[in-house]
This record gives sequence, C-alpha cells and structure tokens, in this order.
Amino acid sequence: MQRKTAVVGVGESEYFNRGGATVSEFELACTAIRNAVEDAGLPLSDVDGFVSYLDARNDPVRLSAALGLPVLNFSSQTWGGGGNGVASSLMIADAAVSAGYAEVVVAFRALAQGQFGRFGQARAGGGPASYTAHYGVMTAAQICAIQTQRFMYENDVPQDALAEISLASFAHAQRNPRAVRYGRPLTREEYHESRWIAEPLHLFDCCPENDGAAAVVITSMERARDLRKPPVPILAAAQGIEHGGGIPAFNESNFPTAHHRHAGEMLWQRAGVGPGDVQVAQFYENFTGPVLMAMAEMGFCAPEEIASFVSNGNIQWPDGNLPINTSGGNLGEAYIHGFENINEAVRQVRGESTCQVEGVELSLSVSGPGFAPGSTILFCRD
Amino acid sequence: MGRIPPEDWALPMIDALNEDFFTAGRLLLQACRACSAVQHPPEHVCRSCQGADFESRESVGTGTVYSFTVAHYPAHPSLSDSVPYAAVLVELDDYKHVRLTGNVLDVEPSEVAIGMRVRVVWQEVQDASGQMLKIPQWQRAEA
Repeated sequence: MQRKTAVVGVGESEYFNRGGATVSEFELACTAIRNAVEDAGLPLSDVDGFVSYLDARNDPVRLSAALGLPVLNFSSQTWGGGGNGVASSLMIADAAVSAGYAEVVVAFRALAQGQFGRFGQARAGGGPASYTAHYGVMTAAQICAIQTQRFMYENDVPQDALAEISLASFAHAQRNPRAVRYGRPLTREEYHESRWIAEPLHLFDCCPENDGAAAVVITSMERARDLRKPPVPILAAAQGIEHGGGIPAFNESNFPTAHHRHAGEMLWQRAGVGPGDVQVAQFYENFTGPVLMAMAEMGFCAPEEIASFVSNGNIQWPDGNLPINTSGGNLGEAYIHGFENINEAVRQVRGESTCQVEGVELSLSVSGPGFAPGSTILFCRD
Repeated sequence: MGRIPPEDWALPMIDALNEDFFTAGRLLLQACRACSAVQHPPEHVCRSCQGADFESRESVGTGTVYSFTVAHYPAHPSLSDSVPYAAVLVELDDYKHVRLTGNVLDVEPSEVAIGMRVRVVWQEVQDASGQMLKIPQWQRAEA
C-alpha cells in the first residue's frame, strides 16, 4: 500500500563463505535482527511480528522467545520456489502493519547451508520432478540454464550479456567491505575462461553459497518519522503470475520466463511510476541469464534489446543509467538468499551505499527470477 | 552414443498422475474429456476448464529440440562419470504447447542444438518396487 509503511532499520550478520560461520544459523538470525532493530533506534521489545519466505528454518515462535519479545502478534512466510519470495515477505509485512495486525515487523533471512541441506541440491524424481530428474535436470542451475538457452536463442543474446551481470556485481563488491568477494575482482577474461557449470552458465554466472543473515524492520509511516534514521517508505510491492505461469517441468505458459512479467505490471500500476523513473535496482542473481529475463519482464527494455541495455557500463556504478546490484548482490556481496538485495535497496534511499547513486528517489528490488511466483518491491524517498 | 545419466538414475516415482506416461510404452498425454485440452505435466484438475475427468491422447512422438543445457557439473556423485551430458526440452509436433524433458541418446552433447529433429524411443528400467518403467527418451530424426 502506497507509503503506509516504511523500512526503518537494516541489519546483517557478518557474511561468510559456505560453512564459514562459526555460530549457528539461529544465532546469525538473531544477530541480524538485533542489528536491524538497533539501527532503527527501537527497543527489541517493540518487535511483534516476523516474516520470511520458503521454508524459513528459524521460526518466529523460537525467535520471539529467544529475543525476549513480550508478545508475538504476527508471523507468516510466502510460498513458492526459492528466492523469488524475498520482496513478497516485505509485502506481507507491509500488509500486516497497514492493517494493524502488528506494529513492528522484522523481515529476515538466515542461511548456514553447511549446517543443513542445501537449496538447489539434487533430488529424486517424485511429483513434478519425475518429469525431469531422471534426465539429469535437478538443480536450479540446470533449470535456469534451459530457460536461459532459449531466451538467448529467441533474442540473439550473446554470452557477453551474461558476463555483464557478473562484472557489475563483482565490480560493486570491490567497494563493499561486507562483501565476501571484497578484494577479489573479476575480469571479463576470467569470466569467459571459467568452467561451465551447465551451458550456457559458466561458474561466474552462478551465485555462490554463503552463511549469514540479513533483516529489515518495518513499521507504520507515522511511527517511522520519529525514529533514528530517515524512513524508507514502501511505495509498492507485488507478487504473482499470470495463468499457467508456473506450471512445472518447463511447461510454463510463457516459457522462457523469469516469472516477473505480471508482478512487474502490478508493481508499476500500484506505484504510479514506470521503470524509467527508477534510479537504481537490485536484481536477485541466482544465475545471470534469468536476471536478463527479469530486466526485460520488469519493462526496462524489450527482450531483444537486452544485450545493448546491459553493455557499455550501463548497469555499472557510477556512470551507468541503471546501476544494479550496487552492494555486489548474491554474486559478489553474499548469497543470503537474496535478502542482502533488500538491505541494499534501502541503503540506496538513505544514501548509505558503498556505491551510492546520486539523487535516488526510487529504489527497486526484484526477487529470484528462476521460479514462480515472482515478486518485487519499490522503495521511495519520504 | 551420447553421454547420459545412468539408466537407473533418479527414476520417476510412479503415482496416479504419471503412471501412464512412464509405463505405457506409448507417449500418452493427459486430455480433458470435457474440453479436450491436452495438458502436461498431468494434474488432478483441467487447467483449462477445471474438469476432473480425463482420457489419454497419444502423441506420434516426434518433435524439435526447443532448448537444452549441457551439464558439466555433476549435481550428485552418481553423475560423476556421466558429465558432460546434454538434457533437452522437446516441443512435440502434434501438441506444440507440450514440452518434454529428455536426453538425445545417439548424439554427442556438443552436437545438440535448438531445432534438432528428434523422435521418441523407450528406455526400459525396473524400479525398486519391481515395476517395469518405459521412460520416454529421444534420438535424432531426419529433418
């Protein structure tokens, strides 16, 4: 709902390589939440709700007890896929606060995959996977590769267009001390020479796995204006698909797709602005190919224009027209299941990014593009 | 012979929805008796008219490679000797909205391309319960 709520606090744990965390995933979650609440200038005891997405392990009942919350008034998470639910978790926080079901809601994600199973690992062939697993198609990388291959074929997209996404993320990570890839830049040659994972995806088209947690605090606009930092209003959010947009085993109605066409249309309609009005954007990079599809589906350019849209530094800070993934994103900062992209979108409105874009009025975050339903959120200046 | 995952790798777990597809030895698709829509993968309800009464419709089993990947990273240790292998998405000639995943058995991964003509062949494998599966696979066909 337009400007009914705002993000007032941003926090994270330290980010590690996968298996690098020295504390439990639950403690990482608590650390990120405490840091976000402290950033807001709120007492922890004011938090009364939690939201997350896709099988979040650190459930709100356990969190509220461990964090000493007097009451828990709201807890929820969104369905579907994987990191496609990042923005929609904030959407339900916005809805809960707007409706008065909770006053201070924390949206968060914690990942320490070495301590649990890994997202995207190979699975046996039951249910929809029975149509793909036997043929060696089990992982998110392979699924996104098949989507990407067709997208490249239909729209004459060269490999270098995929490289541009990686190069932007890695370049921006070099300015961000939180980034796992800080101090380890990537060249175009290294990208092209890196080994194939699943053609057309090279190693550097695929996001790494990391340990860490990130969180933001959402409260009403009225309350937000009295807090420590300038509020970052939620102008609009959207989640969804058109009919058949998520039918499994590559039988989506609009294959190849990033599953963001409908969510994008709803976002712009609700916000009353368009892609051309946005100064900076964070695109969840599970893999680079689907990011290209998501950019087109969000309306930044026609699919056949994507190669030129991402070239010549157009998506890189500081000179590009649309800098993306300015903290380094999943690829360069850390794969916190995409939540780090929410924190960065908020920081861009506050003026706190390490790749700060000048004059940010609208800051976009687009969630995981490989799986349905897509979701996206648009923050604005108060 | 192209490279493919082992024949007994991640066999389909047979259920009410996929039994015809993986045991008949003919390419049987799910068709709605009420509106005649053919849908894949099968579902308990027709995605076109919400009917729930189905029959089988047989495809002639020819098609075109619509997309593919060549997997180089073995996503499971059992696939270490299989990589690199190509997995394809086949668009059927007679039901163009239906896309089936598979491997092209007689083509090297590096030769697989969008637009390649293929026809269905059957891979017969016994699953852990003793049921004989007939799994659709593909081989190159004349243009």
